[in-house]
Amino acid sequence: MPVQEGIYGLLAEFDAPGPMVHATEVARAAGYRRMECYTPYPVEEAATALDVHRNRVPLMTLMGGIMGLTTAFLMQTWMSAISYPVNIAGRPLFSWPAFIIPAYEWTILFAGLSAAFSMLALNGLPQPYHPLFNAPNFRVGATDDKFFLCLEATDPKFDLVETRAFLDQFHAASVVEVDL
Amino acid sequence: MAHGHEHYEAGAGDPGAAAHALHADHGPRVLPADLSAPPAVAAWKTRALIAAAGGLIVSAIIGVIGGPLGFDHVVRAYLLGWMLCFGFAGGGLCLLMLQYVSGGKWGLVLRRPLEAMANTSWLLLVLFIPIIAFGKRLYLWAAFPTAEAVEEGVKQHLLTESQAHSLNWKRLMLSPVHVSIEIVLVFAFMIGVGFILSNWSLARDKDPNAGSLASFEYWRIKSENLSGIGVLIYVILLTVVAIDLVMSLDITWYSTMYGFIFLVGQGYGVLALGVHTIIRLSKYEPLKTALRKTEQYDLGKFMLGFVMLNIYLSFAQFLIIWSANSPEEIPWYLNRIHGGWWVICSLDFIFHWVIPFCLLLSRSFKYDSRKMLALTGWMIFARAFDLFWMIEPNFNDAKGNLHFSVGILAYIFVPIFVGGVWLYFYFTNLASRPLIVLNDPHTAEVLEPEHAH
Repeated sequence: MPVQEGIYGLLAEFDAPGPMVHATEVARAAGYRRMECYTPYPVEEAATALDVHRNRVPLMTLMGGIMGLTTAFLMQTWMSAISYPVNIAGRPLFSWPAFIIPAYEWTILFAGLSAAFSMLALNGLPQPYHPLFNAPNFRVGATDDKFFLCLEATDPKFDLVETRAFLDQFHAASVVEVDL
Repeated sequence: MAHGHEHYEAGAGDPGAAAHALHADHGPRVLPADLSAPPAVAAWKTRALIAAAGGLIVSAIIGVIGGPLGFDHVVRAYLLGWMLCFGFAGGGLCLLMLQYVSGGKWGLVLRRPLEAMANTSWLLLVLFIPIIAFGKRLYLWAAFPTAEAVEEGVKQHLLTESQAHSLNWKRLMLSPVHVSIEIVLVFAFMIGVGFILSNWSLARDKDPNAGSLASFEYWRIKSENLSGIGVLIYVILLTVVAIDLVMSLDITWYSTMYGFIFLVGQGYGVLALGVHTIIRLSKYEPLKTALRKTEQYDLGKFMLGFVMLNIYLSFAQFLIIWSANSPEEIPWYLNRIHGGWWVICSLDFIFHWVIPFCLLLSRSFKYDSRKMLALTGWMIFARAFDLFWMIEPNFNDAKGNLHFSVGILAYIFVPIFVGGVWLYFYFTNLASRPLIVLNDPHTAEVLEPEHAH
């Protein structure tokens, strides 16, 4: 893997969630999109300000569920009616009412596994390295009592000088550059 | 951090709101001074009465021109309408007790509509009189109430051996007198508990210590203690009503699942009606302020739970009877599948489960008030459709033989009449008290800013 060099982004540190949410809202209104909030506990307003409520996990879950349903139903149909037909109490070989419950179980199983694994895949987890841990104040405060907003360098609107000036208007405790 | 402080203090009414437009929704909202039902409810009452009058006129015409079976169908359809409204009254009481036991903000926004539903119990008792009066057209136990009558019926080939056997064995529970006593006892419980809970609910708001922790805890524990045992008793009594009035339409058949199917069906109907009511009310104050999307979304999830539980119980009953394939039980399903009934059966499955299930899976659907309004209305219709499938194929002229007659139209118009009358009293109850409970810690919570999940 080639060594990447440069800046990951600018990290603004706040002492309270309110100013961080405010900064996030203003940054979004100013056109920034590649950004993230880091807080010691869930701050719902931050998620709203970042507009990160929509993701593909529900779609993946639905697809997993449909896959489980069809797999289980077709598998039972094949086993009971084609592969190994057995006459049970004179019922038709294709006795679909009996197939429903395993099909239902597989729907839940596949949907649940799809939800868990697609969540991990879309999260980018597991992630053994993250550049933000290069910032000492982040290492100390992110899981304790500090609230961070990071504007990432991959954002087209990102400019080291202008973005720093932009973040400086928010009375942040500090604004630091984070190396990749 | 002066800036952050100002950020949270800025309310929606701030004259300099332009600067705060981005985050004006972060402060708690304030309830209006007048918490009574909006004037629109009076208009709903008038509409309910007009619908009831229209339904009554058309039902009467059907009863007259429908031939010998026309009036029979009116009575059967009346039973359907009664069971539907009983579902709202009894289910409303049950969900009211459930929200006291479970707690939660969903219960706070639904509490007054549920009280309004529960307080219509006396009306259902009055409306029960025609059912027992015309019981002979519905129930074999009403037509052949004594052992002698049963013997005579067998001689004249009006009854089969198994029907005669069932009638004699079940007479302790199923006879006109015993059923009347059972129904009166059930309603004594429902009217009594409904009365106590709704009086407590008003007394709670008038508490001189209102708003203090001591007051919250006093009323919470008091309501919980009655509701906990109340839910249990209600489930038993509901089972009695479902057996007496619907299962006994086929005197030989039995299912241990029956009471629960009606219980879950009631939850399904009551949540649909409750959510429909509060979304309609949220066009006006005070629910405009009090009903957040968060609670609407939570109630949508709760509805999805009932949609799932309903199909689970209905399918479990079917699967067990289908697997056993015993001649004592399976005719109940054969009567409801053969002779064209499979169309109704399949539509019932689609209306009752497929449509609400697929729609309620979507998160954005549950957040959308207009879509939820349409779906909850649909679910009430689906509930009535399900009752049609359960009731009509019990009778000899319709068993395994779905066919059109003038009488079958009664299933549309008689429930409109019964439902219209019931809705009139429901709206009257709704308008009779404030729509929001004040002396409850959840009230402050629903006024907090909304979080999208």
